Amino acid sequence: MRDNVPCELPAGYDGTAILDRLAQVLDPELDESILDLGFVRSLQLRSGHASVALRLPTSWCAVNFAYLMAEDIRRELLMVEGVRRVTIRLGDHCAAEEIEAAVNDGRPFSEAFPGEGAGSLAALRLTFLRKGFLGRQQRLLRELREAGCSPAVICALRLGEVSVQDDTILIRQPGCAPVKGGAAEILQRYLERLAELGLDCSLAAPLIVDLEGEALSVERLLVHYETARTIRVAMEANGSFCRALLSLHRLDAAGPSGHANTGGKDVQS
Amino acid sequence: MYNHDGHDLFVIDGHMHFWDANPENWRNKYGESWIKCFYAYHSSLSPADAVWSFDKFCRYGEEALVDDLFRSGYVDMGILNSTYLHEFYKNGFNSHAQNNVVKAKYPDRFLLCGSFDPREEEAGVDPFRRMVAEYPISGLKLYTAEWRNGSRGWRLNDPWAYKYLSLAQELGIKNVHVHKGPTVYPLSADAFDVHDVDYAATDFPELSFIVEHVGLPRLDDFCWIAAQESNVYAGLSVAMAFVHLRPRYFAEIMANLLFWLGPDKLCFGSDYAIWSPKWLIEKFMAFELPEDLKQEYHVDLTFDIKRKILGENTARLYGIDIPAQTAKLSQDGIGLAR
Repeated sequence: MRDNVPCELPAGYDGTAILDRLAQVLDPELDESILDLGFVRSLQLRSGHASVALRLPTSWCAVNFAYLMAEDIRRELLMVEGVRRVTIRLGDHCAAEEIEAAVNDGRPFSEAFPGEGAGSLAALRLTFLRKGFLGRQQRLLRELREAGCSPAVICALRLGEVSVQDDTILIRQPGCAPVKGGAAEILQRYLERLAELGLDCSLAAPLIVDLEGEALSVERLLVHYETARTIRVAMEANGSFCRALLSLHRLDAAGPSGHANTGGKDVQS
Repeated sequence: MYNHDGHDLFVIDGHMHFWDANPENWRNKYGESWIKCFYAYHSSLSPADAVWSFDKFCRYGEEALVDDLFRSGYVDMGILNSTYLHEFYKNGFNSHAQNNVVKAKYPDRFLLCGSFDPREEEAGVDPFRRMVAEYPISGLKLYTAEWRNGSRGWRLNDPWAYKYLSLAQELGIKNVHVHKGPTVYPLSADAFDVHDVDYAATDFPELSFIVEHVGLPRLDDFCWIAAQESNVYAGLSVAMAFVHLRPRYFAEIMANLLFWLGPDKLCFGSDYAIWSPKWLIEKFMAFELPEDLKQEYHVDLTFDIKRKILGENTARLYGIDIPAQTAKLSQDGIGLAR
């Protein structure tokens, strides 16, 4: 997806750093990168001023989540060397003006939208980081199970006993033959979120923990897995809507000849 | 009636509308945004040959409805999910009074939902009683995200909501459909939170709560509540629409619902006219749960379970005797013309 983002950069400027930063920004509800989701319409950098134009799936995408993404983009890009100012544009989003005015100025959501939504945006972000943690963990558990690990083995695993070899997860437990299996990316995404939530990432720490960082017993593992599985499917619900609606948006932009459903290909699963 | 290998399946569309979104009925820009948002859902998830023009979508009228449901859409009965939205539409979007126009012509084909808004407090009590007395109301459709005088929504466990639920129960109402689904601009997402259903379901064990759109995208919260509360049911509209473009995702939703709720609490709904029952039912009947999900969740979606979902579960909720109702329907204007 990142190769498809039209970039206008100063001559000789390597845009990798900026794109890497943008790739870090997630749609919190979907737990997927905004670059992979195709939300970034264009990127421009001129004399230290980065401008990012977004294209959200619909003009009514939830205002609080749109705000979170815009705010994250600004924070990420300001960390790139040579970027001193960031402007985000939300296109035809229903609250584009208010979000742009607040985010580009570094003002908080509560100030831009007094009375909108219960609870703070920070709490909302944490809720979705935690849901995303369980979703990522469920994918990892599935890979470990497919690789032949028993529940007892899974519950006993320490961080130091898993590593990555040739894009595959490698498990070495003392006294056992090494086990290989599962996509490395799934392990990496899980470990990233483990760290983001401030959970124990030392080599001796248990690999599979609950949201409080407690290791799971074999008895608890099954129920925990069934719960995490449903959370993952729930998170993908909005992704499914977004992809379907985004394909419509693209066709609208392509002109009146594009029929709404002829572009159904990229929403086919 | 859907016929599969010589077996008849009685179909109740648990969620459909007879709306008026003509531009003349738009009160403000929200009336326009609302129907455009619906239209985006319609055109992005329907098969190409089932996509309507925007004009038809705004006001399709009675003939189209009767055709799409009963003549070509396999539906035997439809539940009119009245939705008022008086702040967006001058005459309301599809109030019980509007919906009753079509119900009056085909009385045995429709079940009519009324509603209440607890923010009306005492002033709404007499009108609510009158509505139940004057219209053939057999259920309620509650829209917790509806705007009213600056409020962006209410909760089922608000004290006045409890008073109205008690009153409804006293007046003989048993089924309560609650909209908990995807964000629709310009409504506030927080008002679609599903946790209030938990309180109301516990405190009103005699009522059945059908959570429309299974809380999507809050499917997880919905599943925990429905697994605990025996009187919470899944209304499948919106989830159904994924069967066409995203069958794998549809399969995962169904596997989760079957796992947490079992096959007796899932109720078909099309959300007509957002989507049409004809293609939803054809694709649903042709759909099979993938083998890996059957094994992973230890569930299946057999022919008998599909029959429950399409009609038997809702018939049980509304006390409909399927053979008797089938005989009756064969004698109405639609049935006789078959």
